Amino acid sequence: MGEKEQLLRDIGIADFVLTELVLYLDTHPFDRNAQEYFNHYNRIKLQMEKEFSQKYYPLNTRYAESSKEWRWGAAPLPWEGECA
Amino acid sequence: MHEHWNDNNFDDFPVAMAYVPWQKFERLCEDLEKGYCAGTIFPELDKPFTGRRCV
Amino acid sequence: MWSYEKRLEFPVNIKEPNAKLAQAIISQYGGPDGEMGASMRYLSQRYSMPYREVAGVLTDIGTEELAHLEMVAAIVHQLTRNLSMEEIEKCGFASYYVDHTVGVWPQAASGFPFTAAQFQVTGDPVTDLMEDLAAEQKARTTYDNILRLVKEPDVCEPIKFLRMREIVHFQRFGEALRIVQDRLDSRNFYAFNPAFDTKECCD
Repeated sequence: MGEKEQLLRDIGIADFVLTELVLYLDTHPFDRNAQEYFNHYNRIKLQMEKEFSQKYYPLNTRYAESSKEWRWGAAPLPWEGECA
Repeated sequence: MHEHWNDNNFDDFPVAMAYVPWQKFERLCEDLEKGYCAGTIFPELDKPFTGRRCV
Repeated sequence: MWSYEKRLEFPVNIKEPNAKLAQAIISQYGGPDGEMGASMRYLSQRYSMPYREVAGVLTDIGTEELAHLEMVAAIVHQLTRNLSMEEIEKCGFASYYVDHTVGVWPQAASGFPFTAAQFQVTGDPVTDLMEDLAAEQKARTTYDNILRLVKEPDVCEPIKFLRMREIVHFQRFGEALRIVQDRLDSRNFYAFNPAFDTKECCD
């Protein structure tokens, strides 16, 4: 797995942890422990997304600022898969 | 909404209704990448399909 | 409103096309217990859910179902791209191909088109959540059935992921129902509809 693929994988893992914690916290809003996990992984994910967008392509238009050309449209589509 | 952790005493529950027990979360799975592949980071919810009677 | 992320919730990288499998798996795109029905069901039920936290559960699970819809579409797309005419004819894919070529269109494995008639919005919080619990179980069974048909690990992995999400969502809807029950009078849960009968007391 290349550096780019590894970073995308790590973003996927961190964001999945957040998806799980969000649903859990929706029904357990008083769980401070889960809230702390959420805060921790949210920071990590935001940092990795920013890094990925700077190095490769924006994963969301909020990271699409650029001093050169518009890169959002040329970014790979998620359903293409590695073997495209 | 109050804290529910101990509201799992099913003997006290009225009939003619369905209840799912509250999940009590203590820890995340140790290997988060494994949890990602399994589809949950909560060990207590990890219930894979085997297609066979032996668990 | 929503914001699009250019990546799948879980990766899909399928090497070999397989039109037969695509025809079974497409049911989870537009079939009776598929992801399109799931997302539309939960997102539509939100407006008559009088409890904010529970409407939040419907929003967040409905949103995740949209990500699942995209994953199922990616599986079908990768199973049908680069198909030869010979494979299309041999695998019984010709009847789909003639209308859609290898585009992804929401239908059940039987060919029946996606329809909102496959889900309900009753406007009654208890009833809607009971439907949601059943929906998660029906989708879980469909994924169980798909897993018996699939041998290829690159197809198996995302299907196993999607199946487990049904179990997690079932748990969350169960807890959402507990929140609704908490707000009602346990001596008679069915005395009135909290989304409709807003008048405080009998005259």
